[in-house]
Parts: sequence; structure tokens; C-alpha cells
Amino acid sequence: MSWRRRETLRNIAFLSPWLLGTGLFFLYPLLSTLYFSFTKYNGFSPPTFDGLDNYRYVFGHYPFFWPALRNTLWFVAVMVTLRTVFGMAVGMLVVRLRRGANLFRTVFYAPYLAPPVASTLAFVFLLNPGTGPVNTVLHRLGMPEPGWFNDPTWSKPALTLLALWGIGDLMVIFMASLLDVPKELYEAADLDGAGAWSRFRYVTLPHLRPIVGFSVVTGVIATMQYYTQPIVAGEVASGHIQGSGQQFEPGYPEQSTLTLPQLVYNLGFQRFDIGSACVIALVLFGLSMGFAAVLMRRGSVFLGGDL
Amino acid sequence: MTRSTSRRGTRRLTVAAVALALPLTVSACTGSSEGGNNDDPDADVTITFWHGWSADSEVAAIQATIDAFEEANPNIHVKAVGNITDDKINQALRAGGSSAPDVVSSFTTDNVGQFCTSGAFEDLTPFMAESDLDPAATFPPAQLEYTQYQGNQCALPLLSDAYGLYYNKDMFAAAGITEPPKTMSEFDADAVKLTKETGDGYSQLGFMPNYHGYESSISHFVAQWSPTYFTEDGKSNVANDPVFAQSMEWQKALVGKLGGYDKLEKYRSTFGDEFGAKNPFMTGQVAMAIDGEWRAGMIAADAPDLNFGVAPFPVPDDQADTYGKGYITGTIVGIASTSQKQNAAWRFVQFLTSDTKAVVDFANAIHNVPSTLAALASPDVSQDPAMQTFIAIASDPDSNTTPASPNGGAYQLTLQDLGYAFESGKQSDLQAGLSDTAAQIDTDVAQSK
Amino acid sequence: MRFSPAARQRLEWVGVHSFAIAAALFFVLPFVFVALTAVMTDQQSLTRDLWPDPFRWHNLIDVWSTPGFGTWWRNTLVYAVGGTVLTLVSSIPVAHALAHFRFRGRKLAMMMVIATMMLPPQVVIIPMYLVWAKQLHLTGTLWPLIVPLAFGDAYSIFLLRQFLVTVPREYLDAAKVDGAGELQVLLRVVLPMCRPAIAAVALFQFFYCWNDYFGPQIYASENPGAWTLSYGLQTFKSAHHTNWNFTMAATLLVMAPVIALFFLAQKAFIEGVTLTGVKG
Repeated sequence: MSWRRRETLRNIAFLSPWLLGTGLFFLYPLLSTLYFSFTKYNGFSPPTFDGLDNYRYVFGHYPFFWPALRNTLWFVAVMVTLRTVFGMAVGMLVVRLRRGANLFRTVFYAPYLAPPVASTLAFVFLLNPGTGPVNTVLHRLGMPEPGWFNDPTWSKPALTLLALWGIGDLMVIFMASLLDVPKELYEAADLDGAGAWSRFRYVTLPHLRPIVGFSVVTGVIATMQYYTQPIVAGEVASGHIQGSGQQFEPGYPEQSTLTLPQLVYNLGFQRFDIGSACVIALVLFGLSMGFAAVLMRRGSVFLGGDL
Repeated sequence: MTRSTSRRGTRRLTVAAVALALPLTVSACTGSSEGGNNDDPDADVTITFWHGWSADSEVAAIQATIDAFEEANPNIHVKAVGNITDDKINQALRAGGSSAPDVVSSFTTDNVGQFCTSGAFEDLTPFMAESDLDPAATFPPAQLEYTQYQGNQCALPLLSDAYGLYYNKDMFAAAGITEPPKTMSEFDADAVKLTKETGDGYSQLGFMPNYHGYESSISHFVAQWSPTYFTEDGKSNVANDPVFAQSMEWQKALVGKLGGYDKLEKYRSTFGDEFGAKNPFMTGQVAMAIDGEWRAGMIAADAPDLNFGVAPFPVPDDQADTYGKGYITGTIVGIASTSQKQNAAWRFVQFLTSDTKAVVDFANAIHNVPSTLAALASPDVSQDPAMQTFIAIASDPDSNTTPASPNGGAYQLTLQDLGYAFESGKQSDLQAGLSDTAAQIDTDVAQSK
Repeated sequence: MRFSPAARQRLEWVGVHSFAIAAALFFVLPFVFVALTAVMTDQQSLTRDLWPDPFRWHNLIDVWSTPGFGTWWRNTLVYAVGGTVLTLVSSIPVAHALAHFRFRGRKLAMMMVIATMMLPPQVVIIPMYLVWAKQLHLTGTLWPLIVPLAFGDAYSIFLLRQFLVTVPREYLDAAKVDGAGELQVLLRVVLPMCRPAIAAVALFQFFYCWNDYFGPQIYASENPGAWTLSYGLQTFKSAHHTNWNFTMAATLLVMAPVIALFFLAQKAFIEGVTLTGVKG
């Protein structure tokens, strides 16, 4: 066997599980989704070809689509940014602390490990506009009490607070990178009489740039998939308990917490309209790939090494 | 560069082949599993029954009914699984296979239209014919209405819920009201009399009219006007039937009389869990509430000192002679089309839904309203005055329900969204809103066909 | 007005520590609430009262002995441990290949990894679900969640590759000169050097599986025997009533092991994150 041949076989051997996986769990379902988006399919009877009907419906007549899209973009702009900034701030904080660093680290990281359903429930209660502790304290301080999860202007900020609470993973990553900055650079800056801000701007920040890039990328990925927290928050805050005969109200209040993944679930698994669900799935895919392309343009940032 | 060209060419061919093969493979992957009704119902068999009950007392009650059935039919064993919601039902029915249930029951009537049109539930008409069961003579008309779609009776009612007016007798006495209101004008007057505002809140609210207020929903209110949701050919009627606008105008006026939308919403956010011990009616935060017959049982358990009464919910002034009607809904039960033991399943369904003793016992045990004409008239039904009121409501010929639709409860949700917009003032032109809503409902229904 | 360096330092100290306390409160208080609610009676949970009266420590035992709780534990362990092991076994060779082999289409493969990483599961969930449900009749089990991990997980592959790329070529070449085959190079030389990175990836995957809600909701919800802890949490919400106190108590019991795991594995974890080249 020629050396070339052997090399090819070796490559295939090492890559095979992933190649198979990509074919089975990425390419195949993606093409299926594309196919179904052109059919009328309820999951019980065989699908029938329908042309662009589902697309017309989703883009023109489905009242939840455009709010969900706007919400997703809001989350990308606000939540990803705030998470990155807050992660950096907390990372820097933890690095600064001498005493009790271990304890602080665990305390700051632990919320990340909380099951999403439980942490959402906790926050919905804590931020209950009428009886929750947060508003009670605000009331005592004479400050305005926002409606949080029951107010369309405050529901997304409330979800952002929840996301910031789970900042642990980003904190650890920023921390690791901060610990890596050579001390000499800081010493040199000090000698030059640089203040805290200049130190940050000229020594710390450039070093952190790849992490910022990573944080933005993973943040966008997570935002595209944002499902559990908004759906649980909407259900709980609206008081609609499933099965009591009450209508489930997507995106309570006033569609402000709707996200595209929730629509996939609503159309595909609750409304028996798999074709339209696939249209939304494709929009999700397009958006993700769009962001991926943009981020990869500046990609050497986080691809690193010789590509 | 012949090598690379041919490589590119091969790649192109592969892509094309995959693209062509895909629809074929995909459609092969979408075949559904077929059920059958060729089973011998007298053979020894086990059927699986999925239901939504989960509280200990309720589970014990359904188990007692199952035990009674198994005693009468020793060859059929029923394996029951509880706390099932519609999402799980949908998934199981689509998947089929051995873990899928044979008999399914659901708390919500919303999906009956989908179950019927998609074929997920079997049409029970042939089964009933074979067993000499005449649905019109057995079940009240509203109950039959929400278990069928366009002639396909793919489900039957398994106990009903009726909605009425709960009122706090002590608060009535304190306000000088001697009997519960019968018309909307009387109701509005009483609600105002019973409301005590304090600064930016209330110490007592006559009634919570806001559409997010638990059971204060559009479909429950408008039932008092006897609406027609859909025309003969399945088109939404909300813009043409004047009662929808009348009902929504009434609600909006009441919201204004009681303090305005924002103030009421703020008060609503202080309410405890609907089904917990801090339900606002049970804590005295509201003097009147619209609720189902199960509330009496909860009051007995969690607020036994509450001096309350039950009456039918008021009717519009111009329909005063129909007083006594109310909104009806209930649990539905059907046979999965993927079941291989449909005859045995039918025996069980027939027993559950039409054996008078079983229905009465079960209704008494979980404080629901019986769902057959015979059971409603039976002397063994709970004589508790609250329950008797609901039985009267359920038996009232003008009581009505929300009809089935092929895309589930979506049309109710669309109407409800208009309600939210209208009550808060975001939508001021009601008629235009209703026209838009009707158009949206029609589009959604067309999309689901 | 210019501050003296001493004053500036003191201001910084105050600023940093105020922020630390505020942040600590922000992170801890919700937990305190969860813990307090977990030992409240049902009547009292989710009312204005913040302090349990009486303390119902028995809630924790009640939750533990909820029928199914043991099953959920077992299922979650199977999913998390099994999933992690499979992920590692299938992803490491791929990462190694992408880091150290030179072949045509390597760039394309890397792009594919990143593309799959960015793919929201909801995009492909419907056809996948239909296959598992109709063809394989395996819904109501955990197989649909575990099996795909045997084919590599894009996120893990990416992280591992980033680290493996930093292994100096000389080590690999030296091993090959000694006559080692590729597999042996991987096992004998590369893996021992990458322990922290592997630990980090393993922990990431473990936590992901432990807390996964969407996956079990789609695939396992129809069969309570297959539920995991994260999905089982919402079972205290029946059709008529939500037992908040039990839900919070269950939350504590679900979180305790992962927090303990993090605390113990902290060092390896942080080292791992540092070394996966995530920081560039």
C-alpha cells in the first residue's frame, strides 16, 4: 500500500465517527427540514407537497414570527454584550481578591450549574411585581417598582438579569486569561505612571481580545438556541398552568419573551404544523450561519493557530 | 489538472445523488404505524390508559373506576399512567409503537379538532353503533359538541366542568346585597358596591375582570351571550356575531368602573397561586369570582370558614330569560388510532363514559360534574348545594362551549390577544380588531388543513 | 484634582471590595431564597413571607422519596457519564486529526465543525425526532440523547483541537521516529500532555448533560421511566397545582452534586480552561 493511501486511510479512520455523525445528525436532518418546509405535514398522515405555502404563512400571516425575530436580535445585541462585559468585570474582580478567592469563585460560579427550570422559577418569584422581595425592598427605598416578568418593557431585561446570574462559565474563562497576563507588563505600566484605566486599556484589554471574541461567539450561539428560560418564565408569570384548559400564551407578556426556538416547538409539537415549523428552523439556521460567517471574517481571533 | 477536475466532478455527482435520494428516503421515514380493530375483546389483554390526573385523591378515584371496570371485564387489564399533558399525547401518538397508549384522556378540549382531522383518534361512531349506544340520547349537547369535529366523533366526554359565579356571602351582607345578581347590570352594580379602593390599591375588590385574572377569560364571559364562533362553512364569526363585541364592551366598561386597567393589573399581581391556598377568592381579596365546580372542593379543604355561595353567572340584560346557563367544558377521552387493541379499548371507554354508576361515583369523588344525561339526573349524585347548582348549569339547554377547530385552541388565543389589547386600551377600534381577528383565524385554519 | 498614589490605591480597594460584596449578594440571594422556600410548607411557599415558619426539613426527604426520584438520578447519571465518555472517545481522535494531520479539505472540515457548533438543536429537531419516533421507536428512552454523542460533539472537538494544536511538533515527531503508529502517538504522547484540557472538556459535557432540559423534554417526556432530574423538576407542577416548595427542594438536591463536583475539580477545571487555547 502506498504511503499516500495509508495516510488517507488513517485520516478516514480518525475522522470517521465525526464524519458519520455530521452526515447523520447534521446534513441529513438539515436536508429533511428543507424538504419538509415545502410540505403540509401533521405528523400522522404522510406529507403532501405544498410549495411556498408555509413560507407565505410564516412571513405574512403568522403573528408571532416577526416579534420573535426582533426579540432574538434584541437578545443578541443586549444580552451578549452585557454578559461579556459583566463576565470580564467579575473575572477581574475575582483575580483581584486575595482573601477568600476560592469561596468567592465557587459562589460566583455555582449559579451557572443551577438547572434552568429551577433558576427561572426562582427569578420569576424574586421579581414578582406585587409580592416579590426585590420590589418590596424597592418600595421601602421609595424607588419605582418595575413590572419585571409581567411588563413587556421589563421582561427581556429580567431575563438578562437571569442570564447574568449564570455568568460563572464566562467568569472562569476570563479569569484564566487574566491570570496569564505577564506581570512584567503591569510593572512596566506602573513604572510609566499609568493609572488603573490606562493599565486596563493598554495591557489587559488587548490580551483579553480572543476571550472577548470567544465570549461573543458562544453568546450568539446560546442566544440562537434560547428556549428554556423564556418559555418557563412566560408560563409561570402569566399564571397559566398547563392542562387547566387555559390557553398557553406564547411570549407572555405581549410576545415580549418569544424566541424562534419556542415557535418551532409551538408549530411543530403543539399545532401539528411541521412544515411551518421547518420554515422557522431554516430561518434559525440562516441566522446562525450568517452570524458565523460574520464572526469568522474576524475569525483568526478565535480560530488561532495555523488553519 | 485532470485529477482535480474529475474529483470535482465526482463530488458534484455525489451531491446530486444525495439530493435526489433524500426525498425518497425522507418520505420512507414518514410512514405512520397503523392500528387495528380486529382484536378479540374477549381475549385476555392489557391496555394502556393515559390520563392527566395527579393529585392523590384524584388518582385514587380513577383507579377505583378502573377497578370497577376490571371486575366487570376480568379479561381486560388496564395499566394507567397519570399526569399526562397534551404535548406528551401528541408525541406518543405520532410515534406509535408498543409504548404508545391505547386509551387517552385529556383535560383540554382544544386539540379535539386536530385529533379528529389528523386521524390520531379513532372515529367512535362505528363503535357506538355496534354497542347500541345513541350519543344524542346519552350525552348532553354541549358535551357532544366539544368532542367531535365536522361529524367525526373522535372523543367522548369523561366528566364535565361547569362555570358559575362564586360569591362571598359575608361581603354581600355587609354591602346590603340580598341575592346574587342575575343580569349584567345587576352584576356591575354589585361589583362596584363591593369594591373598596385604597390609594393605589384595594382592600377588597368586587370582581377581577381583567382577562389574565385566572378564569376571567373571553371564552368564559362570552358564553353568557351564547355566541356562534364559526359559520356553517367553518369561517370565523367573531366579526359578524354582535355578541362578541357586546361582551368585550361590557368587560371594558366594568374594568373602567372598578378602577381602571393598570390599577387592577397591579392588584392582580398580588394574587396567590390560582390552585393554592391563597387563591384570591379564598383569601377575601375578591368578593366574586367566575370559576368551575372544583373550586367548592378546594374551599372546603383550604378555607373551610369561608361563607360562600354559588349561582349561575349573570346573563346580558336582553337575554334575561336564559339565566341559568354557563360555559361547559370537560375532560375528553378517545382511542388512539395506533392501538392494536381497539375493541378492548372501546369496552373500557364505553364503561368510563356511559356506565351511570361509574360516572356518578367518579364525579362525586373528584368534585366534577357528571357528563351523561342519566348521571346528571341520578339521585346518587352529590346533593351538596354548590354541586347541585353546577349540575343545573350543566343540564341547562342554553349552556354552551367553545367548538373544536382543526388547529386546536389557536382561535381562542387569537381572540384572547385582541381582548388583552382592548382591555388595556392598546386597541381602541373594536370592530376593526374583530375583523382582523376573524381574518387571522381563517388564515390559521386554512393553514392547518 | 489629582489623588496621591496611596489615596488612589485605597479608593481602588474600596471600589473593588464594594463591587465584590454587591456581586456576592447578587449571586447568593437567589440561592438563599431557593433554600428557604425548600423548607417551607406548601401553604407558605410563594407568599409574601420570606422566612419559613415552621421549618419543614422533611421536604427534602419527601422529595428524595418521590416515586421516580431515584430513577431520575439514575437516568441523569447514565446520560451524563455515558454521554461524557462517548464524547471523549469519539471527539479526541477527530481533534487530533484536525490538529496534526495535513490533508486536503482540512480547512473545510474545520469550517464544518464550527458550523455544526453554531447549529441550534431546534433546527434539526423535527426530522431527528421523526426518525427516532417512527423508524426506530426509541422515543421515551434516553438513546436519542446518548447515541449522537458517540459520533463526536462539535464543541468538544473544537476546544480539544485548540489545545492539541499547542503540543509542540517535536514530541510527535520524536515518537514517530521511535516507530510509534499514529494511534500510539495519540495515546502515549498526546493524551498524557492534555489531561487538563480533557478534564475541562469532560466537565463541560457532564454539566451540559446534567442540566439538559430541551433534549429530555422532546425525547423522554412520554415515559416517566426515562426522565432525567432536570426534566423531573417540573413534575411537581401537576395539572392543578405547583408545589413550589418541593420544586425548590428538588433543585437543591439536583444542584448539590454538581456544585460538589465543581468545588473538588476546580483546579483541574481552571487549568484546563487556561490551556485549551480558548484564551488564544
